[in-house]
Amino acid sequence: MAKTPTKGRSAPVAQMQPVKQRTANRLLILLTMIAFIPFSLPTLLVMFCGLLPTLVAALLERGDNRYAWICVGGLNFSGLAPWLFTLWFGHHELSYAIQEITGLTMLLTSFGAAALGWLLYLAMPPVVTTVLSATSQRRAIVLAAQQRKLVEQWGEEVVVRIEDPAREDGS
Amino acid sequence: MANEQQKGVGSPVTLRERYLIYPGSALPDLATPSAQAFHAEDRRDQAKVVFALVARPGFPVRINALRALKGVECAGLMTLLEWGVVDWPPANRKVMVLVYARPLGGRVTASLTTEFKCVEEVDAVRKIVNPVVAALKALKAASLTHRAIRPTNMFWASAAKDRIVLGDCATVPPAYEQPALIEPIESAMTHASGRGAGTSADDVYAFGASLAILLQGMSPVPSLDDEAVIRQKIVQGSYGVLIGDARMPLPMIEILRGTLCDDAHERWDNEALELWLHGRRLSPLVAKIEKRAARGFAFNNTEYFTSRELAIAMARHWEAAAPFVLDGRVELWLRRSLDNKEKANAVATAVQAAGADADKRGAADILVSKVCMILDGRAPIRYKGLAVMPDGFGSLLALAMVEGRDLRIIAEALMRETTRAWFETRDAYNPDNSVLEAHIRAQKVFLDRGTIGNGVERVLYELNEAMPCISPLTVDSYVLELRDLLPALNASAKKAEGKGWPVDRHVAAFVAARTNFDIERQMSDLALPDPARSVLGMLNLLATIQWRVGQGGLYGLAAWTAALMAPVINGFHGREKRRELEKEAVRIAREGSLVELSRLLDNPEDRHLDQQGFEEARAEWVAAQREILDIEAGRVQKGEAVRTAQQVAALVSVTIAFITVTLLLIAKVL
Repeated sequence: MAKTPTKGRSAPVAQMQPVKQRTANRLLILLTMIAFIPFSLPTLLVMFCGLLPTLVAALLERGDNRYAWICVGGLNFSGLAPWLFTLWFGHHELSYAIQEITGLTMLLTSFGAAALGWLLYLAMPPVVTTVLSATSQRRAIVLAAQQRKLVEQWGEEVVVRIEDPAREDGS
Repeated sequence: MANEQQKGVGSPVTLRERYLIYPGSALPDLATPSAQAFHAEDRRDQAKVVFALVARPGFPVRINALRALKGVECAGLMTLLEWGVVDWPPANRKVMVLVYARPLGGRVTASLTTEFKCVEEVDAVRKIVNPVVAALKALKAASLTHRAIRPTNMFWASAAKDRIVLGDCATVPPAYEQPALIEPIESAMTHASGRGAGTSADDVYAFGASLAILLQGMSPVPSLDDEAVIRQKIVQGSYGVLIGDARMPLPMIEILRGTLCDDAHERWDNEALELWLHGRRLSPLVAKIEKRAARGFAFNNTEYFTSRELAIAMARHWEAAAPFVLDGRVELWLRRSLDNKEKANAVATAVQAAGADADKRGAADILVSKVCMILDGRAPIRYKGLAVMPDGFGSLLALAMVEGRDLRIIAEALMRETTRAWFETRDAYNPDNSVLEAHIRAQKVFLDRGTIGNGVERVLYELNEAMPCISPLTVDSYVLELRDLLPALNASAKKAEGKGWPVDRHVAAFVAARTNFDIERQMSDLALPDPARSVLGMLNLLATIQWRVGQGGLYGLAAWTAALMAPVINGFHGREKRRELEKEAVRIAREGSLVELSRLLDNPEDRHLDQQGFEEARAEWVAAQREILDIEAGRVQKGEAVRTAQQVAALVSVTIAFITVTLLLIAKVL
C-alpha cells in the first residue's frame, strides 16, 4: 500500500526533469544572444532578414523528423554567407546592415538559395524510394530463401499463416 | 505286458534333457479325453517305464498341482516325474507335457456305461479304498484337490492288478472331465469348465461315487443323461441314485453313505475315512431329502415342490422367472407352502433392493440370480444360462476364450458382482471366501477400463495363473511366464512381417498380469489414442521387460519394433534429427536391444532441444514473413525512404553550407 503512491509520483518526476533541463538550456541560449545584441546587432539584423525562410520552415514543420528547416537553412545560409562575411570582414555597422537588407540582391540570393533547399527537400524522397525499392526486392528474395531453408530443416509445420494487417484494414 | 512293447517310433522330443517322448508312439489306453498319451523313456534309467501326457493346446493346466505333485510318490497316485513345455512336431508348436510313471495294469475301465469286471467287496479295501485314502491324504497335505477321481481315470498300478492309482488331474481345469454321476449335485449343476478347485469334500464324494460304480461293475443309471441324474440325485439323494437297490455289505454301506452324503458339511472327511479303515465303525448317515412344499409352485407349466428344483427351473427359463419373483409369488410360496421364513425374508429383501436400482433390466437379472442362490444355497452362481462356482470363473473364461465362445455373459456376471451376492447368501462365514471375493471384485476394475492391457483379457490372465498367453503372436510358443514372452515375440517377428504390433491386447494383458514390477506409465501410454505416444509406450514396455528379465539378442523383435517407430521419429520436427534417428534405430535394431532403442527414441533432452529449435525456427520464419509482407505492401519504402531522403537532403544542404563558408573564409583570409 505504501509503495504504490511513491512509484506513481516518481515516474512523472523522472519525465519532467529533461523538460525542465531543456527549458533552462533554451533560456540560457536566449540570454546569451540578448547579451550579444549590443555588439552584433548588424549581424543579427542581416541574419534575421536573410534567414526568414529558415525561420518559417522551422516554425511550420511538425512531426518527429524535422529535416526541412535544416535542408532549407543550409542553402539559405550559403546564399546569405557572402553578405555576412562582407559585414564581418568589412563594415560591421548598423547602417551598412540596413543598406544590405533594403537592397534586392542579398534577399534575392538568400531567398533563392532557400528555395533551392526546399526543392532539394522535396525532390530527394522519390529518388531514395527508387533506390530502396530495388534493395527491398533483393531483401525479399533473400528472406524467401531463408524461409525455404527453414522449411527444409523443420518441415511444413514451421510455416505460420500470417494475415497482412494492411489487407485486413482494407477489407 | 506294457513294458515289452515299448520302443519309441520316430524322432523323440526331449523334456529337460532327460525324458524322450515319442510323438509317433501314441498310447490311447493311457490318454484322457483332453490329453493324448505317448510312449516316453527315461535316459537316466532305461528300466523305468514312463509315459507322457500332452495337454490340449490352449487349455490352462493346473500349475499349482504340477508344482506340488512333482516327485510325490504315493500309493494311490500316478507319480508325476516331470513336466514342462516342449516343441511338439505333430502340432508344429509348443505344448505342455507331463511325464508319469506308467501304471502297468492298464485302465480300470474305459467307460461307465458298459459293463466291466467289478471289484469284489473283499478286495475293495485293499485295492481301492486304501490307495485312494492315501492319495486323498497326500493331496490334502499339499493343499490340493484332485477333482478327477472317476473309474475311467483309475489305473491298476501293477500287472497283478492289486492296487489302483488315480490318473492325471492337472492337464485340464478341475473336474472338467467329470460326469454328473460322479460329482456332487452342486458341482454337477455347474458348467464343466467352471467347477473350480472345490474342496476335499468333492474328492471324497467322487471317490464314493467311483467306489459304488466299481463295486457294481457299471453305472447304475447308464441310460440317464446328466440333467436327469442331477434331478434324480435331488429327489432321491446321491446314495439312492448310485446304490439304489443293489445289495452291499454293511461296512460298504457305511462308507458309501458317508462319502455320498449330499451335505458337504456332513460328508465324511479324510479322518473319517481313515477311522473307518482302522476298523472304527461310524453310524451310517441317513440321506437328507429336500423339504417338500405343501403346495407346488406353478412355473413354466410345471409344479415344483422343492426350492432346489424351482431354482434349477428358474435358471433354465431365465426370462420367465423375473415376474414371478417381482410380484411376490416366490416369497409367498416360500412363506406359506414351504414354511421357510428365512428364505422368504431373503427373497423379499432382494426384491426390495432390485426396485431401487435404476437399471431395471440389469436389476431383474441380478435379482433372479440372487433368488436362485437363496432357493438353493449350495448351487453355483447362475446367471443367464451360466452356472459357475466363484473359483471356477477363471477356467470358465479360459475355455470360453480358447473355444471362441461368447464371453459377454461371463463378463456381465463379473461386472454385476454375482460373486458378491453368492458369498452374501452363504450359510456360514468362511475366511477363505473373503480373499477370493476380493480377488474377483478386483477384476471389475479391469473390465470397467476396457483399454489395452485391461478388459476381459486381463481378467483371463489374472484369474488363471497357468494360462499361457493366447495372442496369435505367442500361442505357438506356449508362453507361460514373462521370461518366455520376448523370445516368443522374437520368433514370431518373421511371420508378422511388419504387420501389426508385437503387443496386442492379449500380450498387454498377459504382461500386466504377470509383472511384479511397475509398468503403470508404459501401460497407460500404450492405451493412449495418439499413435506416437502409444507406440512409444509399447517400446518402453518391451524394453522394461528386456531390462528386467535380462534378455539380449532380440534381433527380430528389435527390427520389428524399430520399423513401427515412424510416428515417434516423425514426432521430432528437425528433418536432420529424423534422418539421424532413423539411421541409429536401424543400427540398434541390428544389435537386438530394445533398451537402447527406447533410450534413443524416448530421450527427453533430445525432445526438448528439438522443440526449442523448432520454436526458434518458427519465430524466424514469422519474422521473415512479416518483413516480406511489409516489403510487398511498400510499408518499408514509404516510411523508411522518406525519412532517409529527408536526412540525405539535410546532409547535402549542410554540406553545401559548410563548403560555402569554408570557401568564403579562405577567399577573405587569402
